Order: sequence, then C-alpha cells, then structure tokens
Amino acid sequence: MDINLLDFVLYNTSKAPVTLGDLLKFVLILSFSVLFSRILTLYLRRSLKDKVSKDVGETVLKFLYYGTLIIVFISALPLIGLDPSGFLLAGGVAGIVLGFASQNIVGNLVSGFFLMVERPIKIGDQVEISGISGYVTDIRIISTLIRTYDGLLVRLPNQQVFTTNITNIVGHPVRRFEHTIRIRYSDDANAAIFLIKELIDKEPFALLNPSPSVFVNDLGDSSVNITVRIWAPVNEWFGIKTRILWNIKQTLEEYGIEIPLPQRIIRIQTDAKKIPEELMSEKKIDSVLNYEERVLA
Amino acid sequence: MYGYYDPPFSVEQEGIAISVENTGEHWVYRRTLGTDKVEKIILGDGKCLIINPVEPLNTPKEITPNLLIEFEKTLLLAGGAKRRIFLTFPIEIGVFISDKGDKNLQLLDVLSLARQKFTLYGEVSNGVLCKHWKSRIYSISPSPNPLQEGIMELTLRNTSSDWASISKVVFSAYGMKLYYDGDVFMRARMDILNRNTAETGFELQHLSGELKSSHRRDFKARKEAFGVYSLQKLGFAPLKFYMGWGF
Repeated sequence: MDINLLDFVLYNTSKAPVTLGDLLKFVLILSFSVLFSRILTLYLRRSLKDKVSKDVGETVLKFLYYGTLIIVFISALPLIGLDPSGFLLAGGVAGIVLGFASQNIVGNLVSGFFLMVERPIKIGDQVEISGISGYVTDIRIISTLIRTYDGLLVRLPNQQVFTTNITNIVGHPVRRFEHTIRIRYSDDANAAIFLIKELIDKEPFALLNPSPSVFVNDLGDSSVNITVRIWAPVNEWFGIKTRILWNIKQTLEEYGIEIPLPQRIIRIQTDAKKIPEELMSEKKIDSVLNYEERVLA
Repeated sequence: MYGYYDPPFSVEQEGIAISVENTGEHWVYRRTLGTDKVEKIILGDGKCLIINPVEPLNTPKEITPNLLIEFEKTLLLAGGAKRRIFLTFPIEIGVFISDKGDKNLQLLDVLSLARQKFTLYGEVSNGVLCKHWKSRIYSISPSPNPLQEGIMELTLRNTSSDWASISKVVFSAYGMKLYYDGDVFMRARMDILNRNTAETGFELQHLSGELKSSHRRDFKARKEAFGVYSLQKLGFAPLKFYMGWGF
C-alpha cells in the first residue's frame, strides 16, 4: 500500500479537500514571503539611506512590508480551503468579535495607522508626550519608542500617543528663547542694550528675521531687568542659548556693567529722639509733592 | 589661492594658511584660519588638491541649502520688464582631494572669510531657514575680494503686468554653478510670477539666446568650480526655489 503523507486529507471544504501538502505549501509561502519582505526592506533601507529622510523611508518600508504580507496571506488562503471573498464578508462579524476581544491592541493598531498617515510626529523629532521628553526613535504598528534625553528607552502605546497632547519641539523650523539680564541701577541700561545687540549680531545662529529684541522690562528691587529675546534654528537653539548667556555676562563685566546681588537697605535707629538727616529732607519733598497745599490753597 | 596643487605644497593668503606635507609615512593636510585649525592625515599617493570657491552654505554648520540675498535698497521693476543687475554673494573656500584628472573627488575642508548669519524666509510655522547676505545693487560688475565675495549676474523678469517691489531673493544651493578665474561668478535669474511669488534658479555660463548679444564683449572663459552640493547625490532635490512669501 503506497501512502503519501503529503496527500493525507486534513479536512474537506466545499470546493476540495485540504491535504497536509496544501497546509505545508501555505506555511512555506508565508515563511518565504516574510523572508522576502525582510530582505527587500533591508535592501531598500540601505539604498534609500542617503536619499530619503529616515521618517519617510521607515513609513514607506513599513507599508511595503506589511502590505506584502497581507497580499500574500490573502492570496494563499485558497490553499487551505478558505475563500478570501468569504473571508472578507465574514470580516465584519470577525471584526466585531476581534474588536471586543482585543480592544486595546486594535486601538493601538488603528492609532498607529493614523500616526503614520497624519504624522504629528516623525522619527528623529524631539517631542514631549505624557510628560516624557526625548527623541522619537521609531513609530511601530502598536507602539512608539522614545529615547529620553537621559538615554532611557520608553515605549508608549500608540493609542496613548494619539489621544494625548503632543508637543513637537522641532515642529517648526525656528524657536525663541529668552534671558533676563539684571544690571545695577547705577549702570547705563542703553549701553548694556547696545553691547547685547552687538553680541547677538555676531552670533550666526541668532536669526535676523524674526528679529531679536532687547529691552528694559522691569525695574526690580535691586536691579534693572533687561529682557533678551532671540529666535534661533530649532536644532541650534540650545547651543546658542547657553553660549550667548555667558558671552553677555563676560562682555558686560568687561565694560564695567555688573550683575548685582539682591540688596536690602536696613536702617538701625539707635536714638529714637534723633531724626536722621534723610528724614529731614523728606519733609522738603513732602511739601513739594503736596499738590493740594501748593496749588489749591 | 584657487587652483590645483600637487603635494607637497604650502599656500598662504589673507590669513589662510593651507599646506600638505609628507611626514615620511603619510601626508598631513594642515589649515589655519585665525584660531581655527584643521589637521588631517591623508593615506594615498599621487593625489591632487583642488582649492576652489563653493556654495556659501557649509559653514559654520550646514543647516540649510538656501541663500537669501537682501538688497540694500528696494528695487522697483515695471510690469513685463526684463533687466540685468549685479549683486555680490558670500564665498566659501572648498578644499578637495582627487586622483589625477579630477577623478574620485572628495571634500577635505571648507572655510569662509565672509560674515555668517542666518534668517528665516516666510512664517515661523512653515518658513524656510536661509543663509543671509546683504548686497548693494550694481549696474556693472563689481570687483570684490574673490576670497570673500563673488559676483552674481541676476536677470530679473517681471512676467506680471504690475510693478514689482523687490527687496530680497532666495536661491537653492542645489542648482548653484560657480565659476572662477580671478573673480568668482554666478549667473542667476528671478522670474516674478505675480505680486507675491517668484521663481529663482541658476544658469550655466555658456551664452544663449537674448543674453548672447549683450554679453559677448564681457565674456570671460572662467573655470567651473566643484561644488559641495553637486558632490552629493541629489535625489529629488529641486534646483529652483519658489518664493511664495513675497520678495
């Protein structure tokens, strides 16, 4: 008796019986397609590396990888006796069942799809999501990976990323930063502003447009406060922010303009009957300031 | 300073000192500009060094491929008019190493004597970062220092019927073609499409059409410079720049 193991019928369908050979073919085709898709994406990733930005390239490759797998899977279904059209019809019911059974996974999957299409964030962007700040290293089907500034890897479910507030730090080409420079009341604020403006002019990454602004913003308790606002390219702002602050401090000191320490003048009155000279002069000021007495009397 | 050099050599001009010396086992490239010093080891014999002007977008850091030239005075161009003006643009000096016959070109170093400043063209939310340069408008070709500034011949065409008020022009480095021979030269055009938009691009030095008759006497056979951007694989980078936020 000649028994071919591959012809062993596993189950019957309305069209034809499904043998062990068919099942093996199905598995082989799927395995081959996974292998083929991986090699193809690997090759494309290498060849597109210098030509396409990483975020666009990765999105295209993911669509290509999963698209190929889905097409091959649907095409190979008849081998195991499943009609793709029937499968699609049944998809509605299956979808509901799947939806209830795996709400979170499907939610993350759908969110992942919309993240890739809407692209509020891209691979390489600096973002702040749910209180986590760092670089987006990958946007996967289910989750988004963020490398924090400390070098930690944080995996965020796509549903959380999609439904929460996202701050994309590099979403615009430029951003502004601000410094408050405190100088003594005895110093010339106009000279300080001139020196700061000159420093900004020498700094290549301090943009001409939008223009920087330097102005006296506040007359504080112990200092005149000068506000410095500078726009810089988004990838350079931190470097210039730290560099220019120290340069301002050094330049102002070079020209005798000092940053004062907080001061408080305390008068200690030892003799209650003795009237301080300062208070004597206040009497004069008082009479000058008393408008009603001077004009209306 | 521009030209071809066979190592060992040493050249010094305007505070820039470039040399390639043989230390016995290998060649050493040295460059000094003020306090900025660069030293590189070259493993390979029979190489040639080329020093020529390159696109002014590589120093202090390559953050944009766009150059914005602001005019010192606003220029008014009548509707339908076509005029030729001269501007200056910043120069960067590129040092390349190559096999004999300009084969296997590799960028070794870029330096600049020109003022470095950046600006934004357009809105904060979707504008374009540009290297900034301010230039006077000349009716005849100026004679700037070729290590710092180049000459740009800009042909302005107003294709609209309205007057155009022009105070700046933006170019993409991907289309830049620099030529040098004593001076550094670039030929560009700006087509004004309507009140707020224009398109800019570069032209090769060979003369064609209408420009031919007007330039024949001024024509000078300059050498085409190797560019940093032309060494890169361009992909889909546009050679023209579309000025959509006014000029």
